[in-house]
Amino acid sequence: MILLDSFINIFIKAAFVENLVLAYFLGMCSYLAVSKTVKTAFGLGLAVIFVLGITMPINWLIGEYLLSENGLLGIDLTFLRLILFIAVIASMVQLVEMVVEKVSPALYNSLGIFLPLITVNCAILGGSLFMVAREYNLTESVAFGLGGGFGWFLAIIAIAAIREKIKYSAVPPALRGLGMAFLLTGLMGMAFMSLMGIDPEALTSLSN
Amino acid sequence: MYSTNYVVIFVVAMTSLVAISLTTLREVTKDQAIQNEATFNKRQILMAVSDHLGEGKDIDGMSDDEVLEVFSSQVEQLALNNDGNKLESAAIQASGYKGGKPENIDMAKEKKKPLEERIFPLYIFNSGAEKFYIMSVRGNGLWDEIWGNIALESDFNTIAGAAFDHKGETPGLGAEIKDNPAFAKRFKGTKIYNEEGEFVSVYVRKGGAKDPDHEVDGISGATVTADGVTEMLYRGLDKYQPFIEEQKTGQPVQGMLIK
Amino acid sequence: MAEVITKVEEKEPLFGKKERKLIMDPLTDNNPITVQVLGICSALAVTSLVYPSVVISIAVVFVCAFSSLFTSLIRERIPSQVRMIVQLVIIASLVTIVELVLKWANYPIYKQLSVYIGLIITNCIVMGRLEAYAMANKPWRSFVDGIGNGLGYGAILILVAIFRELFGKGTLFAGSPIELKFIGPTPEYMINTVAEGSWFGWYANNNLMVLPAAAMFIIAIFIWVQRSRNPELVDIS
Repeated sequence: MILLDSFINIFIKAAFVENLVLAYFLGMCSYLAVSKTVKTAFGLGLAVIFVLGITMPINWLIGEYLLSENGLLGIDLTFLRLILFIAVIASMVQLVEMVVEKVSPALYNSLGIFLPLITVNCAILGGSLFMVAREYNLTESVAFGLGGGFGWFLAIIAIAAIREKIKYSAVPPALRGLGMAFLLTGLMGMAFMSLMGIDPEALTSLSN
Repeated sequence: MYSTNYVVIFVVAMTSLVAISLTTLREVTKDQAIQNEATFNKRQILMAVSDHLGEGKDIDGMSDDEVLEVFSSQVEQLALNNDGNKLESAAIQASGYKGGKPENIDMAKEKKKPLEERIFPLYIFNSGAEKFYIMSVRGNGLWDEIWGNIALESDFNTIAGAAFDHKGETPGLGAEIKDNPAFAKRFKGTKIYNEEGEFVSVYVRKGGAKDPDHEVDGISGATVTADGVTEMLYRGLDKYQPFIEEQKTGQPVQGMLIK
Repeated sequence: MAEVITKVEEKEPLFGKKERKLIMDPLTDNNPITVQVLGICSALAVTSLVYPSVVISIAVVFVCAFSSLFTSLIRERIPSQVRMIVQLVIIASLVTIVELVLKWANYPIYKQLSVYIGLIITNCIVMGRLEAYAMANKPWRSFVDGIGNGLGYGAILILVAIFRELFGKGTLFAGSPIELKFIGPTPEYMINTVAEGSWFGWYANNNLMVLPAAAMFIIAIFIWVQRSRNPELVDIS
């Protein structure tokens, strides 16, 4: 059960306590640009979970078996990591786009327009780089990818909902739109900090 | 639209250009980069004995060359396995460190291994007047891993100095274990064995130390990190116990060193 | 950049009015962070200290300028099918160069910045300028545009960092050779205490400033100030 424990542990940590947007500012560009309505935010959020969940294990395999000194080639190629990771992400996004278009036109219609945006979403590359820096194994990377994506999804839905409502408030003109979005993100970040007390290990021990 | 042939040629040409230029740059900077990394690690180790480096020497003010010089002239090293037995250079290599030296051991990698396969470095710093035994420990803080180097005096009981670092503790709270030099200083003079000779390690107590010999004050607002330090010290130093017992009975350390 | 260059003049000064505008605009009314909303990503996470922010800013200026230059040089030869990938490869190679050079020149700061160097690749400001400017303009202009936007980005980064470090830690440029200390922990160790003999002694460190959220608040205030002074920038929606 150790495997499942560490999976849940990392998932919760990545989704709540170390939220990619609110704690690390990853993927802020699309987060601010696409959070004007809940509907579009929902689509982009789903796409992020999807792409993070797919690219993380692939990048893990590449890092472990192609780039590392103990890998298949036997040479230390870690300095090519950045280029390879971003290439994988760009091509995976393209591939996912094509597959989704073929398999499920309905899903494509809701996700499709967001997929190209995702290549330059720092959360995706950031996820892969954090994975390397923290030396996760394959299961942990999948957990981190899905958890991180879920956290990103939650954050963008939350801010989109607030931004929809705040239209009806008397915000000083100079703060309207962008300024308010920054303030809100800051406040949300602080709110998420209170989740810090959660000890993921206590949660998993409950499940046993 | 460009023809497929053109696209293929363009991509191949570009990839080779990039690969060649990056590999060249990498080869040029490689040696210095590796040396920088080694210096960085050695500086971290020497932080634990920063008070004993000698008159007027300050670890932060020392240049890279000085750090390397001190390390090569005053530090001896050896490696132990989980049972406290000393290891040969070949065994270190077998654990995945090509250099085969204890200083090559990466505690982060060791922490991922099953308990019985782990190996630990031990550094002996000779200040001229006295010998200090520096032990590496690693554990979990609130967010991520924390680690440290603890220097024991030659009675193998009194802590002569400590230095901590972390991957991602909260700035201003847990991160103070590294950022605030006063935290590490508190460990100086505490003892890891009690009067009965039992191993008790040092306890980071919330709300203030009660027993100055075996406890230090915690950091307000950083209970989990402080507990992490306590646990890391207990488990980490425990691994060196067989070695300490052996030393107390007067075993010579000489045969164990790896040059 | 509303004006369209209809005819290329015979001889243009190397650093004329247009170039000056390219540099100055991003620093003020067309700032990449506060106005264009690009590149807020990742790099803000390093703004709790000034020194790493300066290093990251220099890296962004370098990457932004040279990726614009190279893209512009080959802009007519890039096959449209693989345009994005080509741009990404150019940016990623430049960032790898930054990484290798940092590792070679200053390992501690490399260690401190860790993943944030790599994240310059996905910094939207770099990619954004390639798409919006370098793909359609001559190399020299693109290069200057890259420098301008990199500087505009770096300026905000460093400003945010100055506020956060000064009020959060009571230091400036901590970790660098020119570290300034205003407030510090006493030897007795307590959070929020004051160094003996500090002229800044009445102030207690504000831990909020060290948290990521503070960067958001500070930028919001920048935006507020900027838009109050220049109502044209106000969001109507």
